[in-house]
Amino acid sequence: MEQASAGAYPYVIEMLHITKEFPGIKANDDITLQLKRGEIHALLGENGAGKSTLMSVLFGLYQPEQGEIRKDGKVVRIKDPNDATALNIGMVHQHFKLIEVFSVLDNIILGAEDTKLGFLQKKEARKKVKALSEKYGLRIDMDAKVEDITVGMQQRVEILKMLYRDNDILIFDEPTAVLTPQEIEELMQIMRNLKAEGKSILFISHKLNEIMEVSDRVTVLRKGRCVGTVDTSSTTKEKLSEMMVGRPVQLVVEKGEAHPSDVVLKIEGLSVPSKIHKNDAVRNVSLEVRKGEIVCIAGIDGNGQTEFVHALTGLEKASAGRITLCGKDITHASIRKRSLTGMSHIPEDRHKHGMVLDFTLEQNLVLQRYFEPQFQNHGFIKFNAVREYADKLIERFDVRSGQGPVTKARSMSGGNQQKAIVARELDRNMPLVVAVQPTRGLDVGAIEYIHSQLVAQRDEGKAVLLVSLELEEVMNLSDRILVMYEGEIVGELDPKKTTTQELGLYMAGAKRQDKEAKAE
Amino acid sequence: MKTRSFFNKDGTKSVLSTLISILIGLIAGALIILIVGLVDDKLGLKEAWKGIRLIFFGLFSKGQQAGRLVFGFNSTNIGDMLFRAVPIIMTGLSVSLAYKTGLFNIGASGQYLAGTTAALFIALKMNTAVVAPWIVWILAFFGGMLAGAFWGAIPGMLKAFLNINEVLACIMTNWLAANIVTWVFEGSGLQCTEGTKTQVIWKTSHNGVATAKMGLDKLFPESQQVDGGIIVVILIAILIYILLTKTTLGFELKACGANRHSARYAGIKDKRSIVLSMAIAGALAGAGAALYYLSGSTEFHWQTYLSLPGEGFTGIAVALLGACNPIANIFTGMFLSTLDVAGSKLSFFTEYNEYITDVIIAVIVYLSAFSLLIKTWLTKKFKKSDDGFRKIPDVAYTSKSGQGDKLPNAAAAGKEGNA
Repeated sequence: MEQASAGAYPYVIEMLHITKEFPGIKANDDITLQLKRGEIHALLGENGAGKSTLMSVLFGLYQPEQGEIRKDGKVVRIKDPNDATALNIGMVHQHFKLIEVFSVLDNIILGAEDTKLGFLQKKEARKKVKALSEKYGLRIDMDAKVEDITVGMQQRVEILKMLYRDNDILIFDEPTAVLTPQEIEELMQIMRNLKAEGKSILFISHKLNEIMEVSDRVTVLRKGRCVGTVDTSSTTKEKLSEMMVGRPVQLVVEKGEAHPSDVVLKIEGLSVPSKIHKNDAVRNVSLEVRKGEIVCIAGIDGNGQTEFVHALTGLEKASAGRITLCGKDITHASIRKRSLTGMSHIPEDRHKHGMVLDFTLEQNLVLQRYFEPQFQNHGFIKFNAVREYADKLIERFDVRSGQGPVTKARSMSGGNQQKAIVARELDRNMPLVVAVQPTRGLDVGAIEYIHSQLVAQRDEGKAVLLVSLELEEVMNLSDRILVMYEGEIVGELDPKKTTTQELGLYMAGAKRQDKEAKAE
Repeated sequence: MKTRSFFNKDGTKSVLSTLISILIGLIAGALIILIVGLVDDKLGLKEAWKGIRLIFFGLFSKGQQAGRLVFGFNSTNIGDMLFRAVPIIMTGLSVSLAYKTGLFNIGASGQYLAGTTAALFIALKMNTAVVAPWIVWILAFFGGMLAGAFWGAIPGMLKAFLNINEVLACIMTNWLAANIVTWVFEGSGLQCTEGTKTQVIWKTSHNGVATAKMGLDKLFPESQQVDGGIIVVILIAILIYILLTKTTLGFELKACGANRHSARYAGIKDKRSIVLSMAIAGALAGAGAALYYLSGSTEFHWQTYLSLPGEGFTGIAVALLGACNPIANIFTGMFLSTLDVAGSKLSFFTEYNEYITDVIIAVIVYLSAFSLLIKTWLTKKFKKSDDGFRKIPDVAYTSKSGQGDKLPNAAAAGKEGNA
């Protein structure tokens, strides 16, 4: 490629034939990614497809074995993140890197402070931030502490951080994972504004809707290889997902009518104290889940869902209320007792609760059943039985790992860790399945699989209680939606009759049904 | 290719890295002896050479003839070595078991003292004219074990219920034990009054209680000390190995140690597991003390135990050096007691101070903490010569990305390769 003058050269960043190997695997195999000046370029791929590795290479965290990076047509070497910053590359991480007790302004200038004789010059900074926020429509409150502002505003602070440093290549790592529908809408607009001002954006995502809506071009990665780069206007969601997974994918869960019958789980007046503040995190929640239905608790993160599930599964103590499972009162039962009474639990945090990361895959697969006579004899583990069982589950649920049953769980990809947990929990064949964000951070292929498994459970006559933050998942999968806001159930909706917008209003607390209406 | 895969085995690398630590420690000891020898007028090069040989082969020293060291099989040394290994293998097992279940038992000293007190008290206070001495021995042994278990369970409970760091609690229970021992034996009537001795408790043989020799006195006829204790220790080590690797209880304890939250999620009683781990660890240390003092030939100087017994801390060295593997602990314990014997030979046959062996042990323990580093180095070394093989320990793999979710999916690539 001929070297052109910086202004005329169409590509602001080029990553050419990047190959990055890890022990036993090529994470990036001859990947080429060209980012045009002033475009929004989406990077799409399953977990483990190599998106993060590629971005880490661009950010100087990894050195590629082969290939080169060019900025404005000139070959550059990025040895560490400082080099990347010097090249005006900025990144909004999936988990924000903000200091909670600092003000918004302080967070923005942190690391790039103007000083005079060792004293901070905040006045100038304040002016610059104000100008930037007006220019791009990034509403912020500069003097608020980060801990007091919404997640959406925190993200805007992160974006302003990049702009304050005059970055013109912006990387967004799964930026919508933590936002409400309204906030996502706003982010999309911000990205368009940034583009209009000539910034170039790399947008990592596996949410097809967003990619279709906002991006100009899409580069799809699969298993470390580049499948291709396409113009967004000339493709469809179906085509993209097929490129990503390598086969046609069912984007909408196929499911028939629900035929709810007997009540499996009955919760009456459940309250759970908060660990953070003095009020209850969950307040007087009553609900029922029947055989053969998927009931979904929707809500924005942090509205009491976690505490609710913890109280239900026994990880935390409830302060009031009654829980009845399969006709038995389990309000004060131990965790093991609850699980044996008939509860499977796919936990929210797969690393904290779902797996013992330093155990092997097979040990994790029997984590809930190692004490059953099938796997032990007078307290001695039957290793052959465990191995056989693990092999069976790995085969049936297509759990992929480096060394099969003896792989350390830590070294597996997130999607396969989750598959292993789902395999373990669903194979226990319990009447109630509590699934908390079962598809968080997973790609379409894995989501499709887990969704179909949950529907299959429903059709087998299990009661499924799903807790999810993903609107699409809530709308697609559930037979009934309960919206939780500030620890209370504020509405019961029928997914067939409601819209995403209406659901969003309930989730944001702007709308609520009164108790009588809910009881119908 | 075959030798290479042998060297690439994880176990082989662990053993090799331990052996390298030991070798470097011994060389460091030899260097110190050399330097001290050259600096000190009394010693000199000839004495230093003697010292170095004793450090390496002290166990096989047969004394001196005409100022020259003679080496060969010495049943006294080997028997003594085995006897001295008994308590430190046990405290080593104590530390190892706690470590494998996610706890750092720095309280082995206190548990050891608790075991000492209970075992001696039972062995000396029970009337052997009424109860057969072997029954008293068994009661004393289990008494020591229980006392240790109780003493270990205290920091366990503090950790489980109040979330107090076990290291802090262990340090406090250590000193509590040291003072309680003094209080118990003060005026207990168990002080030995032979000759000019003060502050010494009667040997248990005074009451006719002593560990059976189990034929070891025939094997090592000249050793006064060796007895069946070492056989009991080896059996216990094997039991602990089985407990940790083969049983559901071990599975629970390890799960709880590796991730208390997910263990709890899976219905394992996390609090019970933590207390139990510490109690078993304490029982092992207590049993070690019981075996040592019930041999019948050892004296307990209680006044000096206002400071803590070294066995508890040597146990940490035994455990670390053996990568906290109960079977490996048998060997590392014996190795450290070999150094102990070598140290006494050193002070006997040369002008050197026997505490040089402590320096060597210190160097080895430091290095064994670096054993992971040595292991990684070994991995690299064998990788270089064989491009087809690539294996880096999990640690190196995860530390960089930090996020489990983002790890490259090795299997996905593997599957595609097959297809």
